[in-house]
Amino acid sequence: MQLDELALAVRNLSTVYDTGDETVQAVRDVSFDLRPTERLGVVGESGSGKSALALSILGLIEAPGRVVGGEIRLAGRDISKLTDRELGAIRGKEIALVLQDPSSALDPVKTIGSQIVEAIAVHEPELRRSAARKRAADLLREVDISQADRRLDDYPHQYSGGMRQRVAIAIAIANNPRVLIADEPTTALDVTTQAQVLALLDRLVEEHRTAVILITHNLGIVSDFCDSVAVMYAGRFVETSGVDHIFLAPTHPYSEALLKCVPNPERLADGPLPAITGFPPDLARLPGGCSFAPRCPVGRDIAQCHSETPSSHHVIGPAGTAAVECHFAEQRISGHTP
Amino acid sequence: MNEATTPTAAATILEAESISKVFQVRGGERFGRKQAVTVLDNISLSVQRGESFGLVGESGCGKSTLARCLLRLLDLSAGRVLFDGVDLNTLDRDALRALRRRMQFVFQDPFASLDPRMSAAAIVEEPLLIHELGDQQERRAAALEMLADVGLTAEQARRRPHAFSGGQRQRIGIARAFVLRPEVVILDEPISALDVSVQAQVLNLLGSLQEQLGLTYVFISHDLAVAEYFCDRVAVLYLGQVMEIAPRAELFARPLHPYSVSLLSAVPVPLAGGRARRANRPQPIGEVGSVVERPPGCPFEPRCPVGRGREICRGERPPLKRHAEGHFAACHFPGEMTVHRAGGTRE
Repeated sequence: MQLDELALAVRNLSTVYDTGDETVQAVRDVSFDLRPTERLGVVGESGSGKSALALSILGLIEAPGRVVGGEIRLAGRDISKLTDRELGAIRGKEIALVLQDPSSALDPVKTIGSQIVEAIAVHEPELRRSAARKRAADLLREVDISQADRRLDDYPHQYSGGMRQRVAIAIAIANNPRVLIADEPTTALDVTTQAQVLALLDRLVEEHRTAVILITHNLGIVSDFCDSVAVMYAGRFVETSGVDHIFLAPTHPYSEALLKCVPNPERLADGPLPAITGFPPDLARLPGGCSFAPRCPVGRDIAQCHSETPSSHHVIGPAGTAAVECHFAEQRISGHTP
Repeated sequence: MNEATTPTAAATILEAESISKVFQVRGGERFGRKQAVTVLDNISLSVQRGESFGLVGESGCGKSTLARCLLRLLDLSAGRVLFDGVDLNTLDRDALRALRRRMQFVFQDPFASLDPRMSAAAIVEEPLLIHELGDQQERRAAALEMLADVGLTAEQARRRPHAFSGGQRQRIGIARAFVLRPEVVILDEPISALDVSVQAQVLNLLGSLQEQLGLTYVFISHDLAVAEYFCDRVAVLYLGQVMEIAPRAELFARPLHPYSVSLLSAVPVPLAGGRARRANRPQPIGEVGSVVERPPGCPFEPRCPVGRGREICRGERPPLKRHAEGHFAACHFPGEMTVHRAGGTRE
């Protein structure tokens, strides 16, 4: 696929937080493509850099953080060098963000309707108020809020958590963005409400050809929603593949460990869960070699893993190809130890 | 200690008999006018010594209120709770305080529940001080030993909460609850604020402490996968009522209540093929109901794929009936809806 046919192409993106005393490397040389209608899951633990990645793409990194390199092409156009003003015209229109906590996206003292109208009016100032209000009601219906016309005049506190999250999505999709980045959009919600939000995102992808980056720590949600997945560790994508690969043949030892430590109905063996030992590395003091090596059941005692940064290895598994940053990717996928 | 005489009584450590909890809240937009809201409605259940008893359900189902009522951190509006045969309602403050040593609470948020000005050791020591146990040296030694049991060193014990990660703080919260050697511990979403890799560590810790100390757990969770992994028996709550109680394997293999079925099949599982699985899943209708506008019949009726609109479901509240050994469900049409799940189930 040509670069300008992609919804989003990210090349060598790096972001640091410079506190004066130390430099935290939040995103390290990340590259990936996103096709229209693609649903990419980005999984990782807190501190792996997944939220910093989202903010970097949107140009929302705040000091002392800054993007130090890379290219972000939105439908072929590099948006990484734009001014704040130019970015403002794109954000919310061509690329939008939904956060975990919908309350932070909604102003408690403004009605739901006026907030949606505002989101529309920013990008279409010539639109009449009454027309914008009608569009707002349509959007509420689109996100399954019943009695939408009446509920436009409600305040956020009159909505349940699930409804507020759907309103946040309504605002994010008000201008039919090409790319929607959803950062833990269902984490604060109950499972049945979670399912409703995912169904809503399905419709968005199908009807508007939106591409979605879903950031989550929940591998179950990745399986339920995504077509591709990137496992993030210490600021890098350590494994990128089609969605089923990660469940059938997780190749990076970190991906495998992450998958094994969550209870699931197929692996209810008695006895303790195989927890990952140790802690994620301090991003200001990254170890040499592979960042996962100190915790890695495979590479902990292998000198190469501590001295040499693994390049990306392309392997073919039972569910297609994967790009894996592990020295032993080929051996692992073919079933040979380590 | 109260020596129980019959084997059944010996096995039951905590029993709720028809308990209800009504809160007075301000109604809607009209300031000043109060309204009675029934948050727990006639709940009966018993917890056996040594087991992990799970309370699951969506937010607002009353699971945390129920847990607080079980320890009389909240007073009941009706019914009674027996702890080891003693009716908690009959105890005065001193007697209740003495009994509290035997029942402890671990909260969800390890950030909010630890005093930021105290060292880890002082935090764990505090309950011993409150209950006037041992002298200063013995208390410090017990606190350090307990911290070691949860995997924190004497060096770490000197630090304050902000120096610890979320998982380590939850370990301190666990040490504080367990240092009194309680018999029952209520775990209110103890891992949901933690990262997945840390969740596994804390679950493993809770499991091994239970084995070591012979503890009874009441485990509150909105995550059914975790409840399935951790609990021996599980009660499913909806709008302050028990919908179903069953041994773990029985509930997850043969759920009888449509609400349990909906809840179980809504859990995304980390296995291949989730998209197809989700497409075939039954969906509960609409939003979680409200305890303020509780329907007269089954509380789940307005959302129920089986009973919605059926006259009996709308008009008549189904009693909690026994369907198999230890398996109870409150439904007029139990088992009519079957579960769609990935993977097998541990029997």
